[in-house]
Amino acid sequence: MKDIYHMLKPWDVILTVLLVLLSFLPIAIFVSQQSQYAEEDSVNVAVITVDNEVVEEIQLTDNMETREIEIAISDHDNNIIEVDNERIHIKSATCPDQICVRTGYISRPGQTIVCLPHKLVVEIQSDRGETEDIIISS
Amino acid sequence: MTNNQRLVYIALLAAQAVIISLIERAIPSPFAIAPGAKLGLANIITCMALYTLPVKDASKVVMIRIILATLLGGTISSFMYSAAGAALSFIGMCSVKKLGPSRISLIGVSVAGAILHNIGQLTIASWVAQTWTVLLYLPVLSFFGILSGIAMGMVANYLLNHVEQLHYYRSLQEMKYTPLNQVS
Repeated sequence: MKDIYHMLKPWDVILTVLLVLLSFLPIAIFVSQQSQYAEEDSVNVAVITVDNEVVEEIQLTDNMETREIEIAISDHDNNIIEVDNERIHIKSATCPDQICVRTGYISRPGQTIVCLPHKLVVEIQSDRGETEDIIISS
Repeated sequence: MTNNQRLVYIALLAAQAVIISLIERAIPSPFAIAPGAKLGLANIITCMALYTLPVKDASKVVMIRIILATLLGGTISSFMYSAAGAALSFIGMCSVKKLGPSRISLIGVSVAGAILHNIGQLTIASWVAQTWTVLLYLPVLSFFGILSGIAMGMVANYLLNHVEQLHYYRSLQEMKYTPLNQVS
């Protein structure tokens, strides 16, 4: 351990702190964007897209049931997505890395599950925010 | 270093880097809680190359590693991620190293490389997925990036100090950067 302290130079610490702050930048932008339309009555909708095309939209807020949705990518590739009350996860997938399965449940707006080999994205959007966005831009 | 020595040295480093990244692929990810995070063992070789070779030759080592590792069991998409990550982290490491040995050590260079690698990969991932919310995952990855970056920096530093030939190459490399007219 003594060697590490001996090795460290001032800029090591400065640089590490800077890079950590930089890695929080996307979250900061996202939070400030969200707070613009943080409404109590917003509705969370899980949007499932494959290759940038929306295939399924599921309303999560006030959802009380558990159900499975199978998204077929091709003849032998699929993702099985499970909606459990107000949260959603990928139950199983035929992709090689299984990163999407290990991501686990998501429930808050802005959270995503990405399955890159299948180009599948599950994103939770706040429906209230979407409509307001359109009003602002028009 | 003669021209032949330099060529053999580049080839040796590249071969080691390829083998290391193949071995790393066989190890199940030690950070099971963070999908996508990995050790980044090949970072050791990049650090060593940066400190013992000119920038141009070090970039050759990195390029050979990426291409060969992809050919030996990667896919086009994995090539895109690793190439973007490696390019960004290599540029970052070079510019960070320019601060000079009195200001920054191998640990800083290695940590910068690890985090920039993550940034590069996630940028490509968010481009492929067409949603920039993928970048929200960055803090998790960069936390593990810092840990592995410190570890790899220490390993590379240990190797550079204790393997005689590497130590010699490093001193050669550092001599080249001190202006000759100052010595005389």
